[in-house]
Amino acid sequence: MNVALSMAGDMKAKVFVLSVIRPPEPAESAEFHAVLDEGRERYESSFVPIRERAKEREIEIETDVVVGHPAEQIIHKADTIQASLIVMGKRSHTILHRWMLGSNSERVLKYAHCPVMIVH
Amino acid sequence: MITNTWALCALWVGLALAATLLAIWFKISTALSEIVVGTVAQLLIGAFLAQGGLLGNTPWITFLAGTGAIVLTFLAGAELDPAVFKTKWREASVIGLAGFFGPFLGCTAIAYYLLHWSVMSSWLCGVALSTTSVAVVYAVMLELGFNVTDYGKSILAACFINDIGTVVALGMIFSPFTIKTLIFVVVSIAVFIVLPFLTPRFFRKYGGRVSELEAKYILFLLFAMGGLAVWAGSEAVLPAYMIGMVLAGTVGKDHSLIRRLRTLTFGLLTPFYFIRAGSFVLVPALIAAPMTMLILFLAKMSTKAVVVFPAVRLHRYEGKSGTYYTLMMSTGLTFGTISALFGLNHQIISQAQYSYIVGTVIASAVIPTMIANSFFLPRHLLPHALPGKPSERTGQQTAAAGEV
Repeated sequence: MNVALSMAGDMKAKVFVLSVIRPPEPAESAEFHAVLDEGRERYESSFVPIRERAKEREIEIETDVVVGHPAEQIIHKADTIQASLIVMGKRSHTILHRWMLGSNSERVLKYAHCPVMIVH
Repeated sequence: MITNTWALCALWVGLALAATLLAIWFKISTALSEIVVGTVAQLLIGAFLAQGGLLGNTPWITFLAGTGAIVLTFLAGAELDPAVFKTKWREASVIGLAGFFGPFLGCTAIAYYLLHWSVMSSWLCGVALSTTSVAVVYAVMLELGFNVTDYGKSILAACFINDIGTVVALGMIFSPFTIKTLIFVVVSIAVFIVLPFLTPRFFRKYGGRVSELEAKYILFLLFAMGGLAVWAGSEAVLPAYMIGMVLAGTVGKDHSLIRRLRTLTFGLLTPFYFIRAGSFVLVPALIAAPMTMLILFLAKMSTKAVVVFPAVRLHRYEGKSGTYYTLMMSTGLTFGTISALFGLNHQIISQAQYSYIVGTVIASAVIPTMIANSFFLPRHLLPHALPGKPSERTGQQTAAAGEV
């Protein structure tokens, strides 16, 4: 997030912060709604300090929480808002996890229609 | 055989813990993970460690699992959005009832004539495969943004109607119609009318204390109406779903209470329910006759398609949107397993038949969604929810993204 805000400040760009809740599959009613509620609450509270930091640096910022597969949702949102650059973090996963589920950052890097910056 | 109650309890909770970890690692639902863990644990423990395996018919396990099914059904009913239902009730009723009756009658016929199951087993099969999964549908709707469109609202409301059909059939079809049934129906209707007025007032006056009056009140209602249902020869999940629905606009909106009930449900009750449901699945039966499961799966898909598709077209959802709608209504998970377990507990179906039905239910929770999203996504109905069209923006935009 720091990298994105720093770049946006230098370039006078707007920052769109996107968080993705990934529901368990196949969804089961009560669990699904619990995951949504918990995810929305957690992200909304995490947006508060980000908005404050953006305000201090006079950076225009917009936030959103969406539901779905992270890579798909990030690419879809970047397309819709015509983002100039996607900045995302990279998680360290085990070999088994990467083999079974793949890496979101790699998927975004492969399929996004705009430049992507992966921050380690 | 494990005779020490605490050791048996530790085994079950340990399995629940393992299932939760697997669900987190593989991003699958805890319910599915618990069913699979229950099946595998029963197979391994029964074969190598202890005679009787997980002992799923132990009375206290049966009680916890039964309570889990009841509270889970209540929570599913409480997720109903009355506003959505009000705007789309006519269209949803036609499609939802078609979605119920098609597979209910079709799968019953296929189980009876093709698989040569008994009359009662075939009816139970029809009930279990008539379900749809509101949660699976809602998850896809949210992911694609359909939940804010008329199209998405219509599908969700139809799914609720479909599940009401399943729950009512499960509660009524296997019980003899006697004076007890009449008393149950009359009392239920009176309770369902009074509850939406009484409950919020009662909670306002006495609720919000550490003694958890709200949770006790809800559990009392569920157990009392469940007891009445069983006394009348019906099933306890029937009033639970209805109570959830009538309280959706009041209790359902109390996030704090729903969250506390979820803690109780996921932390203790549903692991016992789903692991128990999984422990009764006979893997050798599935391996010995995979065609039976395939026939049941195709029966569910085809009967949903034959009846839902014309009903959907009738409401002007044609082409891909009609096919997508139909496939979404072919999903199912929770009520399918609840129906199958009801059949097994009441000796309506054998353990092998139970295994085929649960296998089919799990397949129907996964495969239709995959087919629908891969081939029939109605892109022209996707909403453009984001503010400002690209052409209206100036300057650069940086998207910073993250995930749970």
